[in-house]
Amino acid sequence: MAALRKIIVDDVEVEVDPAMTLIQACEVAGIEIPRFCYHERLSIAGNCRMCLVEIVGGPPKPAASCAMQVRDLRPGPNGAPPVVRTNSPMVRKAREGVMEFLLINHPLDCPICDQGGECDLQDQAMAYGVDFSRYREPKRANLDIDLGPLVETHMTRCIHCTRCVRFINEVAGVAQMGQTGRGEDEEITSYLGAALDTNLQGNIIDLCPVGALVSKPYAFTARPWELTRTETVDVMDGLGAAIRVDTKGREVMRILPRNHDGVNEEWISDKTRFVWDGLRRQRLDRPYLREGGRLRPAGWPEALTAAAAALGRGKVAGLVGDLAPVEAAFALRLLVEGLGGAVECRVDGTALPAGNRGGYAGTARIEDIDAARTIWLVGTDPREEAPVLNARIRRAWTRGAAVHRVGPATDLTYEVTDHGNDRAALTRAAAAAAPAAGPALVILGQGALRGPEGAATLAQAVRLAGGLGAGLLVLHTAAARVGAMDAGCTTEGGLAAALEGATTIWALGVDEADIPAGPFVIYQGSHGDRGAHRADLILPAAAWTEEPGLFVNTEGRPQLAFRAGFPPGEARENWAIIRAVSGEAGRALPFDNLAALRRRLVGAVPHLGQPGTVPANTLAPLGAAEPAGGPMAAAVADFWLTNPIARASAVLAEMSARAARRSRPALAAE
Amino acid sequence: MQFLLRLLTWWNSQTLGTQLFTWRHGVRVGEDGQGNVFYRTRDGSRRWVIFNGEAEASRISPEWHGWLHHTWDRPPTEAPLPRRPWEQPHVENLTGTAAAYAPPGSIRRATPAPRSDYEAWRPE
Repeated sequence: MAALRKIIVDDVEVEVDPAMTLIQACEVAGIEIPRFCYHERLSIAGNCRMCLVEIVGGPPKPAASCAMQVRDLRPGPNGAPPVVRTNSPMVRKAREGVMEFLLINHPLDCPICDQGGECDLQDQAMAYGVDFSRYREPKRANLDIDLGPLVETHMTRCIHCTRCVRFINEVAGVAQMGQTGRGEDEEITSYLGAALDTNLQGNIIDLCPVGALVSKPYAFTARPWELTRTETVDVMDGLGAAIRVDTKGREVMRILPRNHDGVNEEWISDKTRFVWDGLRRQRLDRPYLREGGRLRPAGWPEALTAAAAALGRGKVAGLVGDLAPVEAAFALRLLVEGLGGAVECRVDGTALPAGNRGGYAGTARIEDIDAARTIWLVGTDPREEAPVLNARIRRAWTRGAAVHRVGPATDLTYEVTDHGNDRAALTRAAAAAAPAAGPALVILGQGALRGPEGAATLAQAVRLAGGLGAGLLVLHTAAARVGAMDAGCTTEGGLAAALEGATTIWALGVDEADIPAGPFVIYQGSHGDRGAHRADLILPAAAWTEEPGLFVNTEGRPQLAFRAGFPPGEARENWAIIRAVSGEAGRALPFDNLAALRRRLVGAVPHLGQPGTVPANTLAPLGAAEPAGGPMAAAVADFWLTNPIARASAVLAEMSARAARRSRPALAAE
Repeated sequence: MQFLLRLLTWWNSQTLGTQLFTWRHGVRVGEDGQGNVFYRTRDGSRRWVIFNGEAEASRISPEWHGWLHHTWDRPPTEAPLPRRPWEQPHVENLTGTAAAYAPPGSIRRATPAPRSDYEAWRPE
């Protein structure tokens, strides 16, 4: 950072970095400049002209403050700091003029526009515009483009700020949107009229300052002022993105991102954004009990009695699925281990080392990607496993980071040096690793840790990180995994050892793993999916938006999720179900409310007591076992359908079908 | 009571004036299923109906309605309209009565259809 420069903004003197733009300098001075095209996380376009300010002593015309840097300002005659005015008559007149031009071709759609109430143009027209129009000619009209089932377009409302174009090209990294024509003929189009093929496209809905791009599934269902906002975290992938859940009554109407610089910045993936219709379908709303091979509805007293009887029958195995909050996993562990059973959360068969937090949550933070100069991707496809993280890696790449990969070769939207999809190649790379120039990072996917060679692969990835002097980031695909590992839900020997000889299996939301035939299965979960079909007793539980819970994301950051609505029918909160069954079984767990459970949890795992902070993890040595070789499979088979909530969503099912159609080779006639 | 209604109201069957007019000029043409009697003048220039009970225009079925409004010349007693198998019997307008239509979920129904903001999973 160069020496700070003094600048006077509306009589407020501030010292700012000369590389800052005027709009940022004004923000430092506490003055907000109206803008449409400028966005902090996108490149500068300077084409809306709404951010005009007056520079005293400069050229006799207003300057676009988003495109001018502080270092470009000339000081006054005697070395006095440059003066910027943001509220002079010249600036006000310029804003009114710009606003009048923008509104010339903007339709009077506000009463039927989904953006109404949260529209930048609406707000700024109220604040900076004039109350009449001198325009009497016909308004411009253009055709709506088809961007697919997620983003609805109303192109007559477009003010050509090009935020969507810049996002799709720069952040999502696919050249699928652009701008054609000039002046009145200017149009935003998708490439060859095709639907967008990126799993970050929903963010252009938030970026659009007007109602040109709006959410298709949410269309005409609610107004922003009638929604209840709940700030919580996401569980669709391991990232734990900060989200806001908007509810009307009991129903979740939409999901929006929140800003969190350490996790998701202000983007979320499309699975996170559009999963909410899955929260309304296929819900388990009453207990079921299998009788004579068929499930029949049962009441809670009957279900609790049946569960308690099953727990007393022999060896119990507790399995923790992908979406369970830490409290429920911890409660299940207390219950099952109190009965002499075994608990296991690595249901996908990964070789995460129990108790070694540096090995299962990694030693690096997501933020470290920004500064990294060398990034190694081991057995991971971050574009499918955590799209927002992939956008962050892409940004590091655009800033000059070199990305290396050992693992399945897929298009990651940036250039990658491939070392082959072979575990032996990882061993070779680890042996040859020399300390990297600048910060380095090894991102290890779950695909590398599955199978019998998982532990050796992990050891080699740690060796690679050690050789490079790099941090290790273990990229999880399940939101609950790190939390359950923290809560100690592991058994020596993994899933097979936990299930061995079990007569009763308590599956806490286990839908991604096959449960062997034979044992009595108690399934506790929110959706009727694979787990419910295999179950002998179904205990309906809340989904993640319906109960307060703690989730630990892939970098090991505990985050609190809050309740946005109530569970449907007779479904109950996860921890309460486990507590009720423990009482019925005569081994009541020592807590009666969530606060008491959390106190015990924090007593056992102290770092969970500081939600929002990433504890410094220590990595115990893992040995130097070498994998025999062989490819690593992708951890995520279908991005859109990775969990029971997503599989219940009609929107995501359509996206999945479209993705499958696209990946099929075209027929000769096409 | 019937006499008083006949004397003082116009919406129950016929008034005394109509009765006198019908007696002097009316030629009876026919009667429909509800007992409404249809008349015309001798030269056929006017056609009218004496309701059996309440004078409610929507009680007239389509075939008599067509004849009454000079849409066709011959009454349905002489030239009945072709009847399709899917045709429902004529029902008068029930708006404003207890039998008026209400959508399935309406609270005007005795047992409104159950509403749910989620779809429950059912085994099989």
